[in-house]
Amino acid sequence: MSLFSSLLDKVGITNTTLAQVDDFEKWLLTDMWNKYSDERMSRRIVVENQIRDLKIRLTNGTVNKEYIQEISIPSDLVKEMWMEGFEELGLSVESSDEGKFIIKGKPCKAGDFDVKLCFKTKEWIEGESTSSISIPVAFNPDPRSLWKGIPTDRDTPFFKEDSDKCYVKVEAREHGDPRKDIVVASQRGRSHAQEGRPRDDHFSVCHCDESDWYILSVADGAGSAKYSRKGSQIACETVVSFCKDQLKSNEEFEAKIKAYQEADDKNAAQKVVGDLIYKILGTAAHKAYKAINDFAADKATKTDFAGIKTKDFATTLMLAICKKFEFGWFVASFWVGDGAMCIYNVDKNTFKLLGEPDEGEFSGQTRFLTMPEIFTDATSFYKRLRFSIEDDFTALFLMTDGVSDPMFETDVNLKSIDKWHQFYNTLRAGFPNDQIGGVVLEDDNEETKDQLLNWLDFWSPGNHDDRTIAILY
Amino acid sequence: MARRLPVYLLIDTSGSMKGEPIESVKVGIDTMLSTLRNDPYALETVNISIITYDKDVNQLLPLTPIDELQMPDITTPDSGPTHMGAALEMLLEKVDKEVNKGTPTQKGDWMPLLFLMTDGKPSDTLAFNAVVPKVKNSPFATVVCCAAGPKAKTEELKQLTDKVYQIDTLDNATLMKFFKWVSGIIGEGNKSMGATDEMVLPPPPEEVNVII
Repeated sequence: MSLFSSLLDKVGITNTTLAQVDDFEKWLLTDMWNKYSDERMSRRIVVENQIRDLKIRLTNGTVNKEYIQEISIPSDLVKEMWMEGFEELGLSVESSDEGKFIIKGKPCKAGDFDVKLCFKTKEWIEGESTSSISIPVAFNPDPRSLWKGIPTDRDTPFFKEDSDKCYVKVEAREHGDPRKDIVVASQRGRSHAQEGRPRDDHFSVCHCDESDWYILSVADGAGSAKYSRKGSQIACETVVSFCKDQLKSNEEFEAKIKAYQEADDKNAAQKVVGDLIYKILGTAAHKAYKAINDFAADKATKTDFAGIKTKDFATTLMLAICKKFEFGWFVASFWVGDGAMCIYNVDKNTFKLLGEPDEGEFSGQTRFLTMPEIFTDATSFYKRLRFSIEDDFTALFLMTDGVSDPMFETDVNLKSIDKWHQFYNTLRAGFPNDQIGGVVLEDDNEETKDQLLNWLDFWSPGNHDDRTIAILY
Repeated sequence: MARRLPVYLLIDTSGSMKGEPIESVKVGIDTMLSTLRNDPYALETVNISIITYDKDVNQLLPLTPIDELQMPDITTPDSGPTHMGAALEMLLEKVDKEVNKGTPTQKGDWMPLLFLMTDGKPSDTLAFNAVVPKVKNSPFATVVCCAAGPKAKTEELKQLTDKVYQIDTLDNATLMKFFKWVSGIIGEGNKSMGATDEMVLPPPPEEVNVII
């Protein structure tokens, strides 16, 4: 007699066939087993939901950037826990007994992923499957890997090269002291390169061999103005060519500068020189404004450029002229817009800004040479003109905001000698972590221009505008 | 800290948005985020805040850099009014608090962008009318309103901005295209403002109708 026949017999069920008993046995056990499994399952689901309700979230990471994250799961809910899916993302997991995990490493893939938290519930029995819940994790791409350098289409109206550089070597006169040189570099911003948009910055510099005047100009075409690349070019070229013409042999001007230096009544002499500065630099700026205006008006008559306005050529402008006299350097300047223009002396621990940058409450707000009010408000126009006599200096810098923003960040920093020292050191040392070399400011060394252009490729999050810097040193 | 581009999303979560519409909005925002995360400039500069409005107004997500952003749950009540006026009030308060203005010691953020979406119209008319002039006087680089679905009204939105758009259906495909376009506008906002007063928007996809 089988076990089941005797059990049935005990409760008074007799006369059963062997086949009946077998079938009953199968029916009973299957049913009970299913009930048992269902209950085991639902108890497991309760725990899984409790874990899910903890809403464990991992902070986002960035590819190639050190990631560390700690999570804890109350250990009274489960008896064994581990995590899966991190290895293929480039991360390792350390776990401790108290339900703590430390995830670290450098993520190697960008995207949204699900990793698994696996565990055995307190009631888990050998042979049962283990539990797991998915935890989402997101890794951002390394921003540096996303930049594209799309060359500007050469058929673009007013095309200009994506970068430019220049070295003006001024050698010592026979038996004379070494004379200062000019180095300039201009690099299209990554934000422009990303879309194949042209460089909007421009520069123009020269040294008048006849009179030993140095003329430097740097301009930043407004990103929002369609043809600002041409505006900045017209501005730089117009002012430099006008100043060159004015300074070729301007005995009156130079005599007045000397008179100012020697004058007892500085105020009166200052006015005389100021008027001449106005006549040279002020006129240069106005001529640049006019030239842009005329250019725009002329283009507007062409079908391709119908409706074009002066503001489509909006640009800032920084202009400086300097010459060495027996008593020191005479430096005069005109500045409209943002950026920075400064005389810096490392040994004397001094710097002097040649004006005030025009900046608004919000980023990107500034003033442009192409705004008529620049010229109609005489008082503020005068404030844009500066001149002074300086001892020798380490460098005269003119830079667009593509350089000054990442290097100085705020107006207060722009007025801090420590920040200027820091800037000068960064210029010379480069960015060793990013394999970007420094600039050796050595007399008569033409290679400086290549170093400077290369230096302009420095990385600074969120700062990817065109960068232009001119240095007289 | 680098200058940020603040982006405010005002999302209607009134009862009528329950179900597919709000789910589609979520998918749309996810699409937008992943597009922006693959734009290196946006990845470093864009910060997003989400304010939802039904009978209550909530800032579900304070202004957060997109690389750190994790989408919050967006829930909708079963029914109830659309307090768009109150939402705009909260928006102005948050913009004032969260967006950095340029001072001598701190770099100013870019001017914020505002995207507002509704499938109806403001129920708090008084509050709405009172807040409109304040929004217009605030320094948004651009304000884009989207009237979504058959019951959305555009008259009120037109008081806020001339950039009012309409989409006919609140389904996944349409909202994905809409938010893809929004990502494009945000990318545009990253370019220097100042010389031109008006931001030029990229052309909308065909599902998005321009309201004149």
